[in-house]
Amino acid sequence: MKKVIALLLALVLTLGVLGGCSKGGDKTDMEYVKDKGTLIVGITDFAPIDYQENGEWVGFDADMAKAFAKRLGVEVEFKVIEWNYKINELNDKGIDVVWNGMTIADDVLAAMEVSNPYLKNAQVIVVKKEDADKYPTAESAKDLQFVVEAGSAGEETAQANGFNYKSAESQADTLMEVSAGTSDASIIDLLMAGATIGEGTDYADLAYTAPLNDEEYGVGFRKGSDLVSELNQFFKDAYADGSMMETAEKYGVQESVIEQ
Amino acid sequence: MALLDIKNIHKSFGGTEVLRGIGFSMEKGDVVAIIGSSGSGKTTLLRCINFLETPDSGSISIDGGEIFNAEKSYTDAEIRKNRLNFGMVFQSFNLFPQYTALKNVMLAQQLSISRGLPRSEKEKELERIRERSLSLLNAVGLEDRAGAYPCELSGGQQQRVAIARALAMNPAILCFDEPTSALDPELTREVLRVIKELKTKGMTMIVVTHEMEFARNVADRVIFMSDGVIEEDGAPEAVFGSPISPKTRAFLSRPEL
Amino acid sequence: MFQEVIIALSEGFLKTLQIFFITLVGALPLGLIIAFGSMSRFRPIRSVMRAIVWVIRGTPLMLQLIAIFYGPGMLLGYNIWGTGNFGRNAAVAVAFIINYACYFSEIYRGGIESIPRGQYEAGQVLGMTRPQIFFKVVLAQVVKRIVPPMSNEIITLVKDTALARIILVYEVIWAGQTFIKKAGVIWPLFFTAIYYLLFNGLLTILFWYIEKKLDYYRG
Repeated sequence: MKKVIALLLALVLTLGVLGGCSKGGDKTDMEYVKDKGTLIVGITDFAPIDYQENGEWVGFDADMAKAFAKRLGVEVEFKVIEWNYKINELNDKGIDVVWNGMTIADDVLAAMEVSNPYLKNAQVIVVKKEDADKYPTAESAKDLQFVVEAGSAGEETAQANGFNYKSAESQADTLMEVSAGTSDASIIDLLMAGATIGEGTDYADLAYTAPLNDEEYGVGFRKGSDLVSELNQFFKDAYADGSMMETAEKYGVQESVIEQ
Repeated sequence: MALLDIKNIHKSFGGTEVLRGIGFSMEKGDVVAIIGSSGSGKTTLLRCINFLETPDSGSISIDGGEIFNAEKSYTDAEIRKNRLNFGMVFQSFNLFPQYTALKNVMLAQQLSISRGLPRSEKEKELERIRERSLSLLNAVGLEDRAGAYPCELSGGQQQRVAIARALAMNPAILCFDEPTSALDPELTREVLRVIKELKTKGMTMIVVTHEMEFARNVADRVIFMSDGVIEEDGAPEAVFGSPISPKTRAFLSRPEL
Repeated sequence: MFQEVIIALSEGFLKTLQIFFITLVGALPLGLIIAFGSMSRFRPIRSVMRAIVWVIRGTPLMLQLIAIFYGPGMLLGYNIWGTGNFGRNAAVAVAFIINYACYFSEIYRGGIESIPRGQYEAGQVLGMTRPQIFFKVVLAQVVKRIVPPMSNEIITLVKDTALARIILVYEVIWAGQTFIKKAGVIWPLFFTAIYYLLFNGLLTILFWYIEKKLDYYRG
């Protein structure tokens, strides 16, 4: 009897693991999303890309995601995820798409089906305001103690420049470190820096320097998903009819939009 | 000259005056039994004599030398020195549970070994204390249980260890606070037998007790306390045979006696 | 891969152990001092100590870590910890020692106050000094009584060390998490449980042994 139970348990576990890895039968990803009637968008709180206003998710990416769901004829649902687990969430079908100002990098390309780039971004060095003039270039900042978000484009930049750095769990944590003086500098997204530091924010004592490099944002789907070509077509149409620029202007990112 | 002379002890707790002017004296070798109903103040009197409570007024003298006067203040060290004139045996034994019977008797003596002694001297002194403690246990009939922990001893045995422990510091007067109240009759007898033996050896003792038989047969003198004063004080035959005070008569004629 | 994970987790767990032992070494004696303070007959000391214990036990350790490490720089404008790892480790030690000393102090206090008055009085009438009564009579009995609650608290400490990563001190959980970020694999994170279980298993055996050792008497 014990053996039978053990066998059953092993079977259930195996099925569970396989289920987690499979793409869910014969249906294409688009059919899967259309059948269930909702597009679940994985996001984090990241102004001006995805953030809440009066209880509703808005932002450049959020508004574009709403328009894309409308085109598919499904409801949109935003789900806040732990950024480090985005690939797991996608594969476990906790979400259908990662649409959150995701920098296109090798690891992202390896694990997801990624759209055409749609927004330019850059990494900037954040330091105390009074020190901002001292570090105009990456070279001048070589001796600083950096702090970056683990696994972020900022960490890659720090590695590429040979900076001495600690990793933290989020970009917001890195700002606290710089503000408290427990680290000298942080590297974060230009878009986030523009929205969260400087005059009129809680980090009025911080400032950011010139961009260190250029990078591009893309939208990530499950590996092999047919939704990606649909999205690329959607981007082309939205760029052509001006609605993409219109949305970009609404959130102040029009300078960064990439021609589709 | 009296060995112990107590004058006009008063003690209040909060607004309640528990002792209202107690005075008596006793000679060397006397065995005084203090009787009285609960709440009469007899335990408080014993605790005052041992400095576990500080009297509000009054004085205590040993051999004519004043060791306590409520008008004066005393340092901890003075109180410690003065209280060694007395030994105390508690109703609930209060043995140290983590030590063997022997170690219970030895501990206080051991702690009084002067720190300055050279090691070999200390060891000699320790050996002397051990032998002395064993003979004290022998005196209470427990030499064969020297290695036992309190939880392995009966109540009567524990109380006999407590008596040996109190004798270890060589008190001039040994005080007992209802030493047999926590014991059943058979165990009571073995403890009372030890106290009787101490009397034959000339030990001066004050025994607060409910055992009227014991007070009548063993004590040289019986003090009856009521409401914080000494109501009657005399030879057992007098107190038990022809009490003067109506309160004493009422107490002694209680049906449960 | 497996070897790489084991090396990284073991390094992280060394940091976990470091936090654990430093906290114990500091908090065990400090707790006793706080316990005496909170039982002091001098009212102001007693009140201050009890207020400290209330604040420390009443707020999350995570918040205390953040306040101790970032507070000086953000609120006072002067960062006392520097930018190196030493300052982070020192801040973790300070926060953990204060926090655990307060918990220990309450266990000590409970243990000391549970010793019957008769034990003190028996020592007094034998002419012992206060320190002699505490160290020769009371302490051993207190130890016996507090071993079970202390073992509980100490095992909790092993797991609380994971909070150190809040101020970027990389203990074993952090080491496990980096594999999610670097390689998208989760199992190293859950594998850290093995380390905790083994170490707490050792502690459990140790405490069982101590309890057994103290079992030769009752009371």
